[in-house]
Amino acid sequence: MNPVLTAIQVLLFPGLSFILSYTLYAEWLSRKTVARLQNRTGPLHTGWQGILQPIADFIKLIVKEDITPAAAEAVVFNIVPIFIFAIPLAATFLIPIQNITTLWGYQPVAAFEGDLIMVLFLMSLTVLAVFLAGWSSGNLFGAVGATRVAFMMLAYEIPLGLVAISPAIMARSLSIVKIVDWQVAGVQNFLANPTLPGFLLGVVMFIGFAIYTICLLAELEMRPFDMSEAETEIVHGWQVEYSGVKLALIRSGHDVKMVLAAGLLTSLYLGGPTGPVLPPIVWFIIKTSACIIVLSNLSALFARFRIDQMVTGAWKYLVPLAVLQVMATVALSGVI
Amino acid sequence: MSDRQFVIPIGPQHPALKEPESFYFTVDGETVIDVEPRIGYNHRGIEKAMEVRNYTQNLYITERVCGICSNAHQTAYTGSVEEAGGIEIPERAKYIRVFVQELERLHSHLLWLGVAAHEIGFDTLFYYVWRDREIVMNLLEEISGNRCNYAMPTIGGVRRDLNKDNFPRWHKLIDTVYERTEYYIKVASTEQTILDRAIGVGYLGKSDMIKLSGAGPNARCSGVPCDIRKTTPYLVYDQLDFEHIVVDNGDVLGQVLVRALEVLESCKILKQVMDTIPEGEIKIKFGPLNKVPEGEASYLVEAQRGELIHYTISDGKNMPFRHKIRAPTMGNIPSLVERLKGGYIADIPIVLAGIDPCFSCTDRMVFYDEGKDKKWSWDETQLRKYRKEWFEK
Repeated sequence: MNPVLTAIQVLLFPGLSFILSYTLYAEWLSRKTVARLQNRTGPLHTGWQGILQPIADFIKLIVKEDITPAAAEAVVFNIVPIFIFAIPLAATFLIPIQNITTLWGYQPVAAFEGDLIMVLFLMSLTVLAVFLAGWSSGNLFGAVGATRVAFMMLAYEIPLGLVAISPAIMARSLSIVKIVDWQVAGVQNFLANPTLPGFLLGVVMFIGFAIYTICLLAELEMRPFDMSEAETEIVHGWQVEYSGVKLALIRSGHDVKMVLAAGLLTSLYLGGPTGPVLPPIVWFIIKTSACIIVLSNLSALFARFRIDQMVTGAWKYLVPLAVLQVMATVALSGVI
Repeated sequence: MSDRQFVIPIGPQHPALKEPESFYFTVDGETVIDVEPRIGYNHRGIEKAMEVRNYTQNLYITERVCGICSNAHQTAYTGSVEEAGGIEIPERAKYIRVFVQELERLHSHLLWLGVAAHEIGFDTLFYYVWRDREIVMNLLEEISGNRCNYAMPTIGGVRRDLNKDNFPRWHKLIDTVYERTEYYIKVASTEQTILDRAIGVGYLGKSDMIKLSGAGPNARCSGVPCDIRKTTPYLVYDQLDFEHIVVDNGDVLGQVLVRALEVLESCKILKQVMDTIPEGEIKIKFGPLNKVPEGEASYLVEAQRGELIHYTISDGKNMPFRHKIRAPTMGNIPSLVERLKGGYIADIPIVLAGIDPCFSCTDRMVFYDEGKDKKWSWDETQLRKYRKEWFEK
């Protein structure tokens, strides 16, 4: 392996630089979508249609005063924002985007057999970091927010893991790239030779997509699942004591998580960065943008749930539905 | 208190509270066990200030008791002074007072619907409702020149006339508000995420509500018919045709419904006023040097939050001898405490906002800590003694 090529891949494209600028775009897109749905204009003044607003906000937060409360566990409190930012960023290296050596390749920077498990593990780890952030801030609202994050994780983590595994069962691999390859081959087969099991599999996979989207909304703490930072109830919950650079990192971490979520949805259910005519990078941008618009649309559509409603709802409907989805997938994998 | 319970302070500064007021919540996990309200952060000495200013100056003070129900306060103040002094105002002035009061009710109820949506985390509805509220705000600005504090009633009538040429256009604007509100009622009573947060939340039954003597939409949502416009009509409300809105849900959904249905009724009243308003004077002069004849009177107004009482004593001078204000939120706090108990932390903001609290209206008197001997209330002799000591000092 060429070390220069690896460095370019990690640092420039499709690594750090690309992902970070893409997160800024994702935040802008999300804010703009929600604003238009809410009959507002959203950011307008910085750059074309306010597209530079996320970077302006980031710079503004960096120059603000950085306070560590006296009641906080200083070490944990100061380290955790870095984890909140870095862990999802590490996971994005496992998402197939684009090769720089070949135009049509989409091998991720750090792919290996079983990287799907790695991504799921990293996503759960960010929740732990968020919990520590709220708990260490020495604030009652922070503590309540942290416990709510933990409760939410108990609710959505199991359906999230289940429906992420069902494409892997069909592809008979835990590698995200191989799942994408299987989807491409499967769609081509189906178009060439449409069969009933193939159609049923499409329906089952759509249910999986829906469950996964709902779980990702909860994972991203977006409405209607933003009770961990509900501003009218617990004043931004676990983030309440953060300011300055740390808040900037936390907010960027949220954006990275959003890109990661959109990337996972794309890779596991929408055929990854593949499509006719255009190279993978373009399809990646089109598909993840669509996912971000869907997520933002959902978050503008509902009122916030209460934590008990969310947990019971997840266990009553999401978990059984996810189990059924996996069972249907297993049954169909025998036929196809 | 067991080790599972802890106290969460909400306020004096908190995003769910638009005005400074403090509540101590004893919670067990996510469940509220007990609530201790603390009022008095907003005491501004308004009643005392009114005793040393003349009746015209007091118009401006009463208007600033509250930002949202400024016109209700002014209507009640002018009404009580006119009744104390035996001043009869022209018929057209009464209609104009009703018109502005109902417009104010529209804007206040629409504001509340938006705030309630925001409290349950439904910002999309919040932005939509507030967009439509702008129609009402623009109408008020067109009539009075201001978006709040309209300065319309004055002692002996109103200060500005309504222009008949504008009525057809205003009819159309009010029709728009009516249609949009019907749509919001449909959304609020069918959208599942709203119903999940509203049904059974902050419930208080009719008998409890009567015991705790709530007022306004807060009481009417629990099935207590208490609309002053119907029970003891003032101005020209007895000549207008509108429904007495009472629902018996008793929860947050009931409060949404009462207010939304009242918006519809207010629209009807506005249209009737425009159709039936008589020609004539809008204002009469009273007394030499603005002196109000001797007398005392209390005047009840159905403000947006409920029953608003102004009580004035005139001793024949151009200043009131005593003026007492009792705002509806004061009467709603005991029932609010009952509504909050047994609920979840997540429901605190919406139940709090549910009574449409206006704490700056409420704070008329503060608790006084006299050394170690804590006095919670004063009777008249103690008040007189305190006043004597204060002025002889």
